[in-house]
Amino acid sequence: MGATSNAIRFEGTDRYYLNPELREIVNIAIAMEKPLLLTGEAGTGKTRLAYEIARALNLKMEEARCKSTFKGEELCYVYDTVLRLNDSRFGSGNSGRNVDNIWDYIRFGPIGRAFIAEDRRVLLLDEIDKTDSDTQDNLLDVLEEGSFIIREINHKIEARVKPIIIITSNAKRELSDPFLRRCFCHYIPFPSPEEMAIIVKLHYPDIPDTFLEACLTVFYRLREQEFEKPPATAELLDWIGSLRASGLKGPGGGKDIPFIGTLLKRTEDILKFKGMRRRERF
Amino acid sequence: MIEFFYRLRDAGIPVSLHSIMDFYEAVRKGLVSDMDSLFLVARLVFVKRVEHYDLFEQTFAAYFYGKDGAKILEEWEDLFNSKPFRRWLDEEIRSGRLDPKDAETLPMEELIKRFWETVIAQREAHSGGSRWIGTNGGSPFGHSAAVPQDGGIRVYGASVHGTARKVIGERRYINYADDAPLTKENLRQVLSSMKSLRPVGPLAELDVDETIYRTAKNGGEIELIFRRELRNKVEIVVLLDNGGYSMTPYIPLVKTIFHRIRDTFEHVRYYYFHNCIYGTVYKDPQRTKPLRWEDLLQLGPKARLIIIGDANMAPSELMASFGAIDMFTTVRKPGYQWLQELRKAFPASVWLNPIKKELWKYESSTIRRIASIFYMEDLTLGGLKRAVEYLNLQGSTVDAL
Repeated sequence: MGATSNAIRFEGTDRYYLNPELREIVNIAIAMEKPLLLTGEAGTGKTRLAYEIARALNLKMEEARCKSTFKGEELCYVYDTVLRLNDSRFGSGNSGRNVDNIWDYIRFGPIGRAFIAEDRRVLLLDEIDKTDSDTQDNLLDVLEEGSFIIREINHKIEARVKPIIIITSNAKRELSDPFLRRCFCHYIPFPSPEEMAIIVKLHYPDIPDTFLEACLTVFYRLREQEFEKPPATAELLDWIGSLRASGLKGPGGGKDIPFIGTLLKRTEDILKFKGMRRRERF
Repeated sequence: MIEFFYRLRDAGIPVSLHSIMDFYEAVRKGLVSDMDSLFLVARLVFVKRVEHYDLFEQTFAAYFYGKDGAKILEEWEDLFNSKPFRRWLDEEIRSGRLDPKDAETLPMEELIKRFWETVIAQREAHSGGSRWIGTNGGSPFGHSAAVPQDGGIRVYGASVHGTARKVIGERRYINYADDAPLTKENLRQVLSSMKSLRPVGPLAELDVDETIYRTAKNGGEIELIFRRELRNKVEIVVLLDNGGYSMTPYIPLVKTIFHRIRDTFEHVRYYYFHNCIYGTVYKDPQRTKPLRWEDLLQLGPKARLIIIGDANMAPSELMASFGAIDMFTTVRKPGYQWLQELRKAFPASVWLNPIKKELWKYESSTIRRIASIFYMEDLTLGGLKRAVEYLNLQGSTVDAL
């Protein structure tokens, strides 16, 4: 397994701008077989990165979007008692399930699927900070050992190939120290204007440079003002899309920004923006 | 390399043996080929929090590129241009401790060293070695110069023994919620053993045993029984004594614990009071935004109440009507009655006292009286463990209701 993991190198894809530092970090995490925990503002491409790794390395993806109600086990497997009860009462019909065989009633979750797969998978645990800290600790045990136990039959499932694990967090709540200790952690900073220009060009390859520059100036100026929810990459792309679709030549002279609703999403922010403009005008 | 690990530790980045092993594993795998990859690998392995990035970079630069790293120079400039430094320099020159000529000829290191010596000396003298005292200090050294001016006399005055009569014009407060590095790892484990299992959410969990039983009774006709799942939903109300000097020696300790409580639990409310509780607690450390007594009592009985205070006051504050320490109080009920009410509203409550248990009987008679109302433990790991056990036990009866 060591040989294959060394051979794997992630170089980014044509659709996704990859900061060289981040590329190295991903490769170090892959080589060390450590879960990579990505934190950072929304819109810095944390989740996208996992997809792009899977795409670039041609691996299948297992994805778990965390919810606060998760206990951790359902990411490994779910034992469907109700279905089995139903089958034992009414028969399994022609579904091919055998009531005497518990395996017909166990469904694997994303972690389970990544472990039993013959091939190496990319396992994404999205927004881990939504779960309880107990859940996080349990999950990390599972991920570190690469195995879990199906309690009902005391059967151990072991990973055939350790998946590449990407974990994202919006840092809503602090993650526990033991959790952090077992991961490689990386904070993705918001892209600089130069990097942002590259990102926009990946989405709108034919965008004129002057137009792009004007948009970015407005965008970063807006970000500097303290809005509740500052516009991020996704908003910028939407906004530029709207500007181009409507055939406008530029992003406005600074006093009137068209389609401001695509950049600022909260009512208070929009009101603040408008109020501010008015004050500036007089 | 080993020395570098220790430098990181000294700088305040928690480096564990585990991470050092990881580092060598990375080296063995050939991931470290040049300075850049060394930097990245070391950061990935050792730095777990974004707050430490800057510290790491500085330590790295200082260790591998020597003291002249560009970063450090920049920092010096910042320091030289900062107000406290300027003020200190002016003061030194005015008082004749520093020759103006020296100020220009002395090497920067020497000046900085002297500056810090002054700051540290001030801190130790006036605030028990703690830098969290003062008013809203934004910069780490900014407010230490301001400390001697407000209430300096009292440091050496009556408050030494912890018993203050009326504190006139008391404006000081201690902001426990300020950010400080967390130190005590084992605290978290104690705290997270706090449990409050309650049925929550929709009826979604299948009760297998009950279902089989009912189904069998039903002559084999399936009857599904669902129940609410039990989840750990601890709600905590923390009341902090943050006024006066009697609490001053315990600030670092209380801060650490307060932080741990805040980071470990999702549902925490914290309010402040001064010495004893007289019908109001405050939402902010400055004690300007009061919370109504009824609103506080309403948070019970399921929430766990943790009071952190030294319970050390003049007996009259606790026992006498109009005993409250603030001049203009019109509160008629004596302190202990308020405490009893609070205790009744929160069946699961503890009083955590930063004074060591052995010393309670010497410190003040009020400690004993309050301990007869609230279950009291001291702020040691053991005391905290017992307090959590007590809360769990008291709480389990409340949760079942």
